Amino acid sequence: MIRGDARTGGLLDLRDDALAACVDCGLCLPHCPTYRVTGDERRSPRGRIALMRAVDGGGMEADEEVLESIDTCVLCRGCETACPSVVPFGELMAGTRASLGRTRRPPLRLRIGLAVLVRPRLLRFGSRFLAVLQRLHLLPRRLPLPQRLPLRDPRTPARTEGEVVLFTGCVMDAWQPDVHAAVEAVLEATDTRVRRSGDSAGCCGALHAHAGMDAAARRQAEQVMSALPGSDPVLVDSAGCGAALREFGVLLGTPEAAAFSARVRDVHEWLADRMSSLPVALPGDRPTVIVQDPCHLRHAQGVHADVRTVLAPYADLVELDDEGLCCGAGGAFAVLQPELAGEIRERKSAAISRAATRGRSDLVVSANPGCALHLAAAGHLVRHPLEIVADRLDREGGCVDVG
Amino acid sequence: MRRRRWSTRDPLVADLEAAVGAGHVQAGDAAVHLYSRDGSAIGGGRAGVVCLPGTAEEVAACIRVARRHGRAFVPRGAGTGLAGGAVPCDDPVVISTTRMTRILDVDIERRLAWVEPGVVNLDLTRHLAGTGLHFAPDPSSQQSCTLGGNVANNSGGPHCLAYGVTSAHVAAVEVALPDGDLVVLGEEEGDPVGYDLRGAFVGGEGTLGIATRIAVRLTADPPEIATLLLDFPTIETAADTVSAVVASGIVPAAMELMDQRVVRAVEPHANAGYSLDAAAVLIVELDGLPAGVAREVEAVTRIAGAHGADSVRVASDEEERERIWKGRKAAFGAIANIKPSYYLHDTVIPRTRLAEVVAEVNAIADRRGLIVMNVFHAGDGNLHPLLVFDEREPGVLEEVFAAGEEIVRLSLSVGGVLSGEHGIGLEKRQFMPLLFQPADLDAQRVLRDAFDQDGVANPHKVLPTGASCGDVQGMTRLPEGTWV
Repeated sequence: MIRGDARTGGLLDLRDDALAACVDCGLCLPHCPTYRVTGDERRSPRGRIALMRAVDGGGMEADEEVLESIDTCVLCRGCETACPSVVPFGELMAGTRASLGRTRRPPLRLRIGLAVLVRPRLLRFGSRFLAVLQRLHLLPRRLPLPQRLPLRDPRTPARTEGEVVLFTGCVMDAWQPDVHAAVEAVLEATDTRVRRSGDSAGCCGALHAHAGMDAAARRQAEQVMSALPGSDPVLVDSAGCGAALREFGVLLGTPEAAAFSARVRDVHEWLADRMSSLPVALPGDRPTVIVQDPCHLRHAQGVHADVRTVLAPYADLVELDDEGLCCGAGGAFAVLQPELAGEIRERKSAAISRAATRGRSDLVVSANPGCALHLAAAGHLVRHPLEIVADRLDREGGCVDVG
Repeated sequence: MRRRRWSTRDPLVADLEAAVGAGHVQAGDAAVHLYSRDGSAIGGGRAGVVCLPGTAEEVAACIRVARRHGRAFVPRGAGTGLAGGAVPCDDPVVISTTRMTRILDVDIERRLAWVEPGVVNLDLTRHLAGTGLHFAPDPSSQQSCTLGGNVANNSGGPHCLAYGVTSAHVAAVEVALPDGDLVVLGEEEGDPVGYDLRGAFVGGEGTLGIATRIAVRLTADPPEIATLLLDFPTIETAADTVSAVVASGIVPAAMELMDQRVVRAVEPHANAGYSLDAAAVLIVELDGLPAGVAREVEAVTRIAGAHGADSVRVASDEEERERIWKGRKAAFGAIANIKPSYYLHDTVIPRTRLAEVVAEVNAIADRRGLIVMNVFHAGDGNLHPLLVFDEREPGVLEEVFAAGEEIVRLSLSVGGVLSGEHGIGLEKRQFMPLLFQPADLDAQRVLRDAFDQDGVANPHKVLPTGASCGDVQGMTRLPEGTWV
């Protein structure tokens, strides 16, 4: 029923069956972060779909009020998980932004930022410049930047051979090189040789797609695919990038892209199937960590359980009680909609505080750089799950018993 | 937030902004469009201005502003209602309580909580986790619907079979009356002195005022719960089992029946473990003290076997239990897997006549070339036939609404009533004379007038009002007279 390819032919030209699938039941409402903090139907998935319909074929003008409704979506896709009618909301929103993007341009600062992301050397140079400013205390602390931006080019020499590819992306490669190093260490502890995607693959283009910059997103997809030929698994340690790579098939609509997407795995998902090859944990006190599920892991990829599987031998886990509601980071959302992003984060912070009280630990793990930076900017201590694992591997002690 | 450009033009908007703050009043085309609908299939409404007050005092102020400008007002919670209760007629001020989400006070010892009306039903129960208490009414929309909406509709839910509907769980309610005053109806403890105005208010569908604070009674979590999933070869055998269980003296916490089409639509989403081959799936939940629950599980299993059940499964853990319920509660949304639109009916019939009525409902749908899916609160005879359709097909809406009317008439003819829990709203008000004599309707009108002399609170809802909702009829895409 909802799989037909016919388009509406309207102003937004969305897939007809996808748009018709919403029955206005409203079960999505509390799972939408922007509705949660505003109570405003225009900031809800149901409302956004109703406006898409009205603009697409109902004669409503895409005025400022409509555009605000569309632009304030975090694209967390929490509504998809909640939707009993399986409305492909992410597809509808991406299509809407792409159609609207043909007649308007994203804000200049976003265009500049996104242009830098696809130029790795410029990105690293800029990052080092920011790192210097940071050391001189010339940057405001509330900026969503790592606490200590790397001063030197952090990359280890790229290996050209390996049975799996680690997708290194853009910002994460420049700002959080320690995460890639930790992920590599964990993968190699399972006797897997890893090669990095590196500069030639570059950025996944997720943020471009979110911003409705369809052409740029497609260009990045093509670039990533041509840099990573063959059939080796492509492992991703950033939830947002992973979700994007997995959707190249939909974005480009070619068999090659679909085949590429089928190679992509979140690194936790990949490891969860190979737990018996992971070394046991070092003896001594186990850390307690609060598990924050990035939306693009939980709602877009549906592999958040694997993070727990991988962490469980090495740490005690504390769950949040907010059913995976978004933290408000949303790629560039925190920069473009700081007020909403802040309000959404306050809810997440409250959930983290409750979990910290229950678990007597305030260490949060998050498998997405955007979430990590956004939460760290509010004073939370955040690490990547595999950094915890990497620190605890006992290479002398045999392998995990998966019993 | 900046002031909207129309605020300087429209004095109503300006006054509302003065009452609740500029950021919380919406009068743009998008807002008007969105707040003209609720969870029902009823179109044709039109909101005037939308405001989102943050406190009880602001709700009252919004009402006073609306009245000063000669406007009616329509209260709105999450907008998940299925009878059009929140669909605005004639450009009223829509007052949404969705910003009023504070749980004000929880008194564990007295099992009482004061909440704001915008608190989501399930959020209250989640908030109570670990206290051993919960809020018993659990409408299928409980993850989204607000307690204010539950009070307005006297909402039910699967577990209301044993625990009673919302009215049994509301001790007192603070109300912004249609004249803009705030009063408290009911008592935290004991029976109210004098007339039970709280009882009158609950289920008033927003025609008697707006709940601004609610004192809800909290229910102890049962020490033991057993959830049974039973498969049947026919709807009749399932329905007979339901009657036999009740006749045996057992009062299950819930008894829910789904036919094969529903099961096949929800199973892929819920992974509840429903049998795709069964003609009907029955969920029976038993709770209480462990020994009693064990005895009842045995009894229900025996009764079901005697009536031809193919299999009986008892959920082995909380996770399995949750999955079984997730499927049931997602049933009405999951129909997009079959057709994109639905019309969900809500009537009540004598439990003993379930099987024959369901057969007739199916025949009605067949005659009109429609697909019907049956899901019901079988324990109390509350039917929820879902007519699913694609409104892009020409002429289908006429058939849907005509079939709906036939189902209503059928239910009444076997001694049933118009609505189990969704309320009357706009959807069923023209059917009220089928159930009530003119004198009965007049008596209800007198009650309404006592609260709202001028007819400004959610006008045109519940009681038939002749042609005075002409704007809605005139603008609707539905054939005149079929639903209003």
